[in-house]
Amino acid sequence: MYTEPPESLEHISDQAALPNLNSEWVNAKGAWLIHPILILLLKIALSTLPISQETSWTLTNLLYIAGSYLMFHYVRGVPFEFNSGAYDNLNMWEQIDNGDQYTPAKKFLLAVPICLFLVSTHYTHYDLTYFMVNFLATLAVVVPKLPALHRLRFAFFNPDPDDR
Amino acid sequence: MNGTFDFGEAQNTALHYVSLAAAQVQRVPGSAIALRYIKSSYQNDPVRSAVELFLFLFAVRYLLAPTYSTLKSAHVPLTEDEIDELVEDWTPEPLVAAQTTFEEAENEKRPIIVGPTGPKSRLSTGRTVTNLATQNHYNFLSSAVLKDRAISTLRTYGVGPCGPPGFYGTQDVHMKLEADIASHLGTAACIIYAQSFSASSSVIPAFSKRGDIIVADRAVNYAIRKGLQISRSSVRWYNHNDMADLERVLATTVKEQARKPLTRRFIITEGISETCGDILDLPALVALKHRYKFRLIIDECLSYGVLGRTGRGITEHTNVDATNIDMIIGSLSGALCAGGGFCAGSEDIVEHQRLAAPSYTFSAALPAMLATAASETIRLLQEQPDLFVQLRENIKTMRAQLDPRSDWAMCTSAPENPIMLLVFKPEVVESRKLGVQDQEGLLQDVVDECLANNVLITRLKSLPEGPADAWQPQPAVKVCITTGLSKRETEKAGIIIRHAITKVMTRKKAQSA
Repeated sequence: MYTEPPESLEHISDQAALPNLNSEWVNAKGAWLIHPILILLLKIALSTLPISQETSWTLTNLLYIAGSYLMFHYVRGVPFEFNSGAYDNLNMWEQIDNGDQYTPAKKFLLAVPICLFLVSTHYTHYDLTYFMVNFLATLAVVVPKLPALHRLRFAFFNPDPDDR
Repeated sequence: MNGTFDFGEAQNTALHYVSLAAAQVQRVPGSAIALRYIKSSYQNDPVRSAVELFLFLFAVRYLLAPTYSTLKSAHVPLTEDEIDELVEDWTPEPLVAAQTTFEEAENEKRPIIVGPTGPKSRLSTGRTVTNLATQNHYNFLSSAVLKDRAISTLRTYGVGPCGPPGFYGTQDVHMKLEADIASHLGTAACIIYAQSFSASSSVIPAFSKRGDIIVADRAVNYAIRKGLQISRSSVRWYNHNDMADLERVLATTVKEQARKPLTRRFIITEGISETCGDILDLPALVALKHRYKFRLIIDECLSYGVLGRTGRGITEHTNVDATNIDMIIGSLSGALCAGGGFCAGSEDIVEHQRLAAPSYTFSAALPAMLATAASETIRLLQEQPDLFVQLRENIKTMRAQLDPRSDWAMCTSAPENPIMLLVFKPEVVESRKLGVQDQEGLLQDVVDECLANNVLITRLKSLPEGPADAWQPQPAVKVCITTGLSKRETEKAGIIIRHAITKVMTRKKAQSA
């Protein structure tokens, strides 16, 4: 476990040179609506499979959480080449809004998994196993979003750093 | 009324308010359903309900928290008066620093050439001097063939291409020049840049990014240093042309990077060093490159058109196949007397630069006249090998007059390098305790003395570096040999330079004695 060191002045000026196109879209109009729509589509797709309601809701929850963890907390850097790797060591959550905490986008993105969790506990009729599975998954995606874990890296949960 | 707190009264008031609140909640439509749902969700499981409640309250707290920034901002609130005071006290820094006395003196005495440059140039003071300060090594500037070709191209193509190469700026002469250089060097392809300085500083960031590793020679020139800075890669230095030190750095790097994900790795050096004048040991370097699996970038700005039997550069000079070197960066504005630069390599390397190299994409293309001039000079170099013989003769003649005949100075350049760098001998520097500034001053006096005797030479000028870089080139005088002067004239010029050095050094001694 280690904390990402703060960047040098040169590095910060590279980051400030252009707006971060990778993380700016979360503040755009459709970016908030797409989350419930995606969850709905996922549920519909899973309903076509011959599994019980409870399992399909749990699977929806798990798949959404896995996807959002991969996208926001696991992958680091920017997928396109425009600022010579200025964000190579930050994952997407840390890039949003230049690292500010409690911004509207972050509040929404934290509320969605929690709401999804509450919905899934309702549909699994409060069964203990399903509850534990859902709860642990939600914890896995809510904890990295906390301000205390800003720029903190754990060896197992994050890929190796690029050395500077 | 006594002042003690009456618990019974407080309890009654609290219960009264709670029942009021409950009545209000029950008036909200749908509240009955919500309350019934929450009651039924209890399901006789207090722990789970507690966990859910905690999560819900946590979400509410997070949603109500205010935004704050994690970037360090030293925001000190100031009053209006304090702001006014600070504004009054502030004086802006000048955009350009004031000149030192040395720079001012240098500027005053700077020679201005009127008319065309050549082995004998006319100065603005009216005198005609022997010009040993331009890289006109084969005297192509006075070549009638080249002049005719350039004028006919100018009449056909006009002056400039009016655009970057990728945006309607590429003309057939550029493609012909790229093919000519590639076939001359023996590489698969070549790309042309409009300025030789920006060739080095564009090629490096096109391939090496933040997180990549570059092992660079300490004495590399300013263009390469800028390229390294722009690329944001981690740079490791090795001592100039020291293959043992290079091996040490490569081995350390490979060991450090053994467990980490693979990054791009480059070795960058020059064929002929601009600041020291010596020639690279290319076979040893290529052997190291293959052993430690690094890519090789050679800056042949001073060696292309100069070294080798037909001017192919250091690859011909040391008998190494040009395909062993990943990128050969060269200049067409030196010995070839045209303009611009190039980078030669494999097809993929050249194709990548057409979109990724900054000065290829964002600068205008090379004017057609210079492109045809360069093609012509490459043809002339291949057809007239006695140009090289003549140049090397002249170098030998000049060298015979200066090193070891001079008591004060020695030549650090290699025997094949037509740009001779004369530095003070180490025993002279030791005995007189000359610092860098003192040496620069003395060398400027030498240049002035030579000019008084109608020989134009120049000093090695290097731009200042930041404090992190410890390496500084030794101050030197630059003498560029040309075939435009006969053996006798070169000999005479050499004698004048030697006498000038002696005069300046003995005069100083008389002054300080």
